Amino acid sequence: MGTFPETKRTFTPLRCNHCHNAPCERICPVSALHYIDNGIVNIDKERCIGCAGCVMACPYGAIYIDPETQTADKCTYCAHRIASSLMPACVVACPVEANIFGDLDDPTSNISKYIQNHQGDVQVRKPEKGTDPHHYYVGGGNVQLNPLASFRVEGHQLFNKLTTHMPVGGHH
Amino acid sequence: MVHEAVAATNAVVTLDVGLPGIVWGWIITMNMWAKSIGTGVIFMLFYLMKRYPEAAGSLRFPVTVVSIVFIHIFLLFTVIDLHQMFRFWHIFFTPHWTSAITVGAWIVTVLVLVLFGMAFATFIKKDNALFDKLLVWAVILAIPVTLYTAAIMAEATARELWQMPTEAAQMILAATLTGSATVLLMGGNLPYEAKRDLAVILGLSALAAFILYMSELVFGPIKAEEVAATLEAVKGHGEYTTMFWVGQVLAFIAPFVLVILSVTNRSAGLLKVAALSAIVGLWIVKHVWLVIPQLLPMS
Repeated sequence: MGTFPETKRTFTPLRCNHCHNAPCERICPVSALHYIDNGIVNIDKERCIGCAGCVMACPYGAIYIDPETQTADKCTYCAHRIASSLMPACVVACPVEANIFGDLDDPTSNISKYIQNHQGDVQVRKPEKGTDPHHYYVGGGNVQLNPLASFRVEGHQLFNKLTTHMPVGGHH
Repeated sequence: MVHEAVAATNAVVTLDVGLPGIVWGWIITMNMWAKSIGTGVIFMLFYLMKRYPEAAGSLRFPVTVVSIVFIHIFLLFTVIDLHQMFRFWHIFFTPHWTSAITVGAWIVTVLVLVLFGMAFATFIKKDNALFDKLLVWAVILAIPVTLYTAAIMAEATARELWQMPTEAAQMILAATLTGSATVLLMGGNLPYEAKRDLAVILGLSALAAFILYMSELVFGPIKAEEVAATLEAVKGHGEYTTMFWVGQVLAFIAPFVLVILSVTNRSAGLLKVAALSAIVGLWIVKHVWLVIPQLLPMS
């Protein structure tokens, strides 16, 4: 962020936004991308045919074709952990509690109270897309959240030149 | 709906970043290009059968064969583009009806059945009345088959350059452009008036498509930041500038000029050059338009 030499580095998770009006769910021809009852946009990799329509539809670049399974994949907000009443791995792992997960419909939940306490400083990514994202950023800036707001040489991103095609940890 | 309920100990780690590269590449270009020809020749046959029923009668079988061949090229490239191509049948057994991909797959399937019915009627049964009835259904089905790719692109909301209704118009124009060009190349015993009509369709399709592309190029940036950023790839010294203009010249400008010259001079030779140029050029035009929005970082 900023202009050389007055620059600083920030870290922003740009994962799946679990949109209420998810274009990936709509374009998926086989319902591999689907909603579960808690609002999470989940993916059934056994059903996915790998047409990549969801990759084209996601305005957040959050879906990719897993080179190992040759199916679409993305953050599922650890739906399997949520099903077991556990928190998502990112929430547990973050040492500074930068990720907050919870039920927005419950006014007493941590996330509801946090958003309530930071009114005016809460935003979603690309609201003009009408996707109604369920991933909120507090104190975020345009440079972090909008890839077109900052110049990148030949369109490269920070993590764009991956040398391995194996997902970290592999698949079962 | 299938819900994932994996035990926590079997947690699957996923990448949280998009992998680089063009996901929809030349295979999808082949898909759109072949589909344009496959449906376009059906539109042209219908027109010729209404306008010149006697002379166009001999085109029933050859045009049907061309349509079947190109629709199958389209289907082949659709399937091989799937990363899990052997699961393509899921579209038929677990269809999701909000998806234009699903709707299109079903309509194309019915169109293929009608096309085989037409081939059977004219080649095996020698029943032209039945053929002509089926041709009407083929035309009705060919319209959504031509348009559904535009609907897929419209559902790809992340790529603003592909949105309706411009893409829908471009898909229809691509069909009339390549359809008229292909039938002109097939030639046959068509009278001069019929060839002139096809030439006019070719020329007007080229002109209209060119105007639409130029409108996007000039006025596109007004719509959105993303469109402006995308179009930079074809403007000035952009990565795809040369390819874009080669496509525009071959697909639209050259055919339009050649059609005018050929109609003025009654030259069948120029018409064939125009037709060939349009067919080759459209592939390039489609490819550029397909690829450039994918160069944008979304995250």
